[in-house]
Amino acid sequence: ECSEKKERYDTCFIKWYSEKYLRGEGSTDECAELFKEYKSCLNAALKQKGIHNMIEEARKTSPNNNNVKGLK
Amino acid sequence: MKVFESSCVFEYPWANVSIANWRKYGAWNTQSTHVVAVDTLNRSVDPSTGILRTERLITCKQNAPRWLMKIVGGTEESYVREVSEVDPQQQTVTLRSMNLTGSNIISVQETVVYSPDPSSPETRTRFQQDAQITAYGAFSRICAAIEDWSVERFGQNARKGRVGFEAVLEMSSKAFRDMKDGGGRSEEISA
Repeated sequence: ECSEKKERYDTCFIKWYSEKYLRGEGSTDECAELFKEYKSCLNAALKQKGIHNMIEEARKTSPNNNNVKGLK
Repeated sequence: MKVFESSCVFEYPWANVSIANWRKYGAWNTQSTHVVAVDTLNRSVDPSTGILRTERLITCKQNAPRWLMKIVGGTEESYVREVSEVDPQQQTVTLRSMNLTGSNIISVQETVVYSPDPSSPETRTRFQQDAQITAYGAFSRICAAIEDWSVERFGQNARKGRVGFEAVLEMSSKAFRDMKDGGGRSEEISA
């Protein structure tokens, strides 16, 4: 449902990642706006599908979070 | 609990592999048609370490055997949550995935690490994968069957995964080269 916004964000991210981040210049997030748009669309879709709760649960309990080191 | 381990080497530098990792599930990967969607839930760079942390949701077409679907209460789609960290200083990409769907019946936790291969760190990347598969439930025979089936399936998928990823690496490296040479030509990502 959010494919277009996702495409725009993904393209921005790959560009930023390969041109800036990997060269040590990735301090500013150039894709923040695009991500916000994509994310709000995505969250609406996830809530509608009833997946949102599953994700929240996993965030709290999952061992995946062990490498978080203070990041939320 | 069953453990599955596998490792291999890709003949590409680590940087290329880490970029290709973001492109893994696309039209060019003919082996990954079971992946219906990959969505980014969250992403941030830790200002003190420079580590890029990403949380993604992977949607898969359910292709478990029917008997397992009945037990798990499976529907058409299943979901996996992946949390990854890219450490550009250490040159590692670490991905940790766990199933969301059916996690009260069976838990598959997979960890993948991409790092420069010690034999040739500039041109080769090592891929290490391990998975822990645990089936819960009162009936030990069913648990064992689920675990055995899962491990075997995991192995099959790991093989397919390698083949598919090689295709992605080739496409991605070409685009990376073109970008470096062309310096500003925008690349096509068709999905």
